[in-house]
Amino acid sequence: MKQKKMVAMILAGGRGTRLYDLTKKVAKPAVHFGGKYRIIDFPLSNCANSNISTVGVLVQYESVLLNSYIARDHIWGLDVEGGGVYCLPPREKDVTGLGLYQGTADAITQNLDFLDQEDAEYVLVLSGDHIYKMNYEKMLQHHIETNADATIAVLQVPMKEASRFGIMNTDENDKIIEFEEKPKEPKSDLASMGIYIFTYKTLRKYLKDDEKDPNSNHDFGKDIIPTYLKDGLNLQAYRFKGYWKDVGTIDSLWEANMDLISDNNTLDLSDPSWKIYTGDNNAIPQIIGPNAKINTAYITQGCVVDGEITKSVLFTGSKVEEGAKVTDTVVMNGARIGEGAVLNRCVVMDDVRVPARMKLGSKTSKNILLVTKALVSKKAEGKDHE
Amino acid sequence: MNKMLGIVNLEPANVHVEGVDDYRPASATSFLGRYRILDFMISNMTNSHIDDIEIYIKNRPRSTIEHILGTNYNVNSKKGKFSILYGENPVSNELYNTDIANFKANIEYIEQSSANYVVIAPSHFVYIQDFNEMLEYHEKMGGDITIMYQSVNNAKDAFAMCDILEFGEDKRVTGMSKNIGKYKNRDISLECYIMSRNLFIELIQKAQMTSSLFWLSDVVADSLNDLKVYGYQHKGYVSCINSLRAYYKANLELMDRLDDLVSDNWPIYTKTNDTQPTLYKQGANVTGSLIGNGCEIEGTVINSVIGRNVVIKAGAVIENAVIMPSTLINKNVKIKNAVIDRYAIITHIKELKGTEDEPIYVKRRDRI
Repeated sequence: MKQKKMVAMILAGGRGTRLYDLTKKVAKPAVHFGGKYRIIDFPLSNCANSNISTVGVLVQYESVLLNSYIARDHIWGLDVEGGGVYCLPPREKDVTGLGLYQGTADAITQNLDFLDQEDAEYVLVLSGDHIYKMNYEKMLQHHIETNADATIAVLQVPMKEASRFGIMNTDENDKIIEFEEKPKEPKSDLASMGIYIFTYKTLRKYLKDDEKDPNSNHDFGKDIIPTYLKDGLNLQAYRFKGYWKDVGTIDSLWEANMDLISDNNTLDLSDPSWKIYTGDNNAIPQIIGPNAKINTAYITQGCVVDGEITKSVLFTGSKVEEGAKVTDTVVMNGARIGEGAVLNRCVVMDDVRVPARMKLGSKTSKNILLVTKALVSKKAEGKDHE
Repeated sequence: MNKMLGIVNLEPANVHVEGVDDYRPASATSFLGRYRILDFMISNMTNSHIDDIEIYIKNRPRSTIEHILGTNYNVNSKKGKFSILYGENPVSNELYNTDIANFKANIEYIEQSSANYVVIAPSHFVYIQDFNEMLEYHEKMGGDITIMYQSVNNAKDAFAMCDILEFGEDKRVTGMSKNIGKYKNRDISLECYIMSRNLFIELIQKAQMTSSLFWLSDVVADSLNDLKVYGYQHKGYVSCINSLRAYYKANLELMDRLDDLVSDNWPIYTKTNDTQPTLYKQGANVTGSLIGNGCEIEGTVINSVIGRNVVIKAGAVIENAVIMPSTLINKNVKIKNAVIDRYAIITHIKELKGTEDEPIYVKRRDRI
C-alpha cells in the first residue's frame, strides 16, 4: 500500500535583519553555526531522520548561496526516487507581475501546485532558522491519532518570558482553544515553535479562501490559525521537550554556539542515531600547534590553532595564531586571528582577518560584538592616527 | 587530449604493516585522523582529471569497498567509473597472488577502456603528484615506460625491498634491483608507471608466459633491454608505508606537512561521516597534534595523531602516538610511542610505552 505522504515546507525567506552584516550577503538559514553546520542543516537533517523525503524550501532573500547549497540534496541523503529538496522561489505571475511571498501562508499558497503534484496528504511547515532536533514522524503520529486538522508543536517557556511568543491556550487534553500572539498577560506557557502539521485537503481550502481575502496578512499565526479556531476545527498542541533555539539576533546566535560547550548542553550533536548532516568541504583535520592552550572549546576540521582558546567555538578553516587570546568568542569559517590579538565576547564573521595584537570586545560587555571586515579595517585605521 | 586509465595497484609482497593488516589491506587503514591511506593515491588520480579508476584488492575487501562507495572523489558520478577488482581465481599459494595474476583475471576491463595510457601506482607510497606532468614528461622523452622515482638519502633504514633504479645515459633505466639497506643514497622506484594501454596488456601477457611468480615490476625489469624505460623524478615528500614503524612515522611526519601538501587546488577526498566538531573540555591540554572531528578530550595530548570519535578521559596522557578512530582512552592511562587500532578500549593497563623505532600496537577492538 502506498504510504500517505507528508511533504515538508521550510520557510527560508526571512531577511534576518537583526543579524546585521551576517545576513547582508547570505540568507539567515544559510548562516554558519556550531563549527561546521549551517542553520538550515537542522530542519533538513530532522526531515531526513524523520523519513520525510520531499522537502520544499521557500526562498526569496539573498538566496543564491542558499539555493546552491540546498540543491545538493545528497548532503542529507534526500536524493531518493520520488523525493528531493526543491528550491521554491516566489512565482512570477501574469497578472500581478513579479511576485514576493506576502506572508508565511502566502508562501504555501503560491506552491499549492507543487503540493498537488507531490500528492501530499499532510504538510509539515517549518522554519529555516531554528536550532533543534525533532522527530516529525512522531508528531505526525500524534496528528493522526488525535484526528487533528492541524497540529502545532509547542514548547513550555518560563511564564515571565511567555509574552515574547505566540502562546497556545489549551484544554486539559492539549486541544488548542485560543491562540494569542505575544500576549501582555499570558494565560499559558505553551509557546508555538512555528512547526505545524496540516491535513492538506483542509489546508488547501483555507489557503484558497485566504488568498481572496483583501484584509488578510496571509500569515499562519495571524490569519490561518485564528480562522481554523473560529470555524471550530480540531487544533492540537504537540508538546516538545528538548533543546530549541531561535537564532534571530547576534546575541542569541552566540548563545546557541556557547550552549555547545556548556556542561548542561542538551543539544547532543554526537548521537549517531540522529546526526545533523552538512556539506563536507574536504578540509584537513584540525591542527593544534606547539604553543596552543585550549580550555573548553568546540573546534572542527580545517582549523589551525596555535593560540590560547577559552570557552570558544571555532568554525571550519579558521585560524588562531601564536599568542592570540580568544575567549567567549565564536570564530566563523575561514576567519584568521593574528598573533597576539585579544578577543572577548565576539562573533567574528566569515573570512575576517583580525590583525596582530588588535583588541576586540570586552569581558563585561552587555552585547556581543560582531566583528566584520569593515570594523577591523576601521579600527586598524584609527590606530594609525593615534 | 590523451586519456589515462588509473590503476591503484596491490601492495607488493614487501609491504607488511604488522597487526594492522590482519584486519584490512594496509591501504584501507585509517590515516592522519580522517583519511584512509589510499585516499591520497585516488585523489592524485582524480585531481589529475583521471575519471576511470580501477582499484585492485586481494583480500578482506570490506573496508575498502565500504570506503570507496561512501566517498565522493570529485568525479562525475555518471561519466566517471570506479571499479574495485580482485583476482577471481582462487590461488593455491599466496606466492601466486601477484598483481599480474589480478590484472590477468580482469583483463577485459583493461581492454575495454578507451584510454590510450595507463598510470599504475600502489597506494602505500604516499605523495602528491599531478600525473599530467608525468605524462608530459613521458611523451617528451618518447620512451615506452616512465617510472616515478625519488632520490633518497635514507635507503638504509627505509624503503626496504623497494626497487632501486640504475640509470644509464639520458635518464634511461638500465637496471633494477631490490633495496636491502646497504647504501644511504639511492634512487628508489615509487612503483608508479606510465605506459600505453596496449603495452601494459602486452606486458601482462609476457609476464604470465615468463613466470607465474612475476609482478609488474619484475616484468619491467626483465624488459629493460627491449624497451626504453625512463625515470621521472618526484621531488616532493614521499612516505613508504611498508611496516608498522613506517605507518607510525608517516602519521607523525605528515602531521606537520599536511597543511602545505593539501590545498584547495589539491584536496584529499575521503568519506564524510557527518561527525560533529571535537569538544575540548576543561582540563584538556593539547599541543602539536592533528585531531579528527568527534573527539572528546579531557586529558593531555602531545605530538600525536588522533582519529575521529576518540574519547580521552581526564588524567590520560598521550604522547607521540597514533590513535585510530572510535577508541576510548580511560582515566590516567599513559600512552607513549604507540599505535592504537580502531574501537580499542584502554582502561586497566595504565602505561603503554613503545619506542620511536618500535611502537607498541594495540589490536582492533582490544579491551585492555
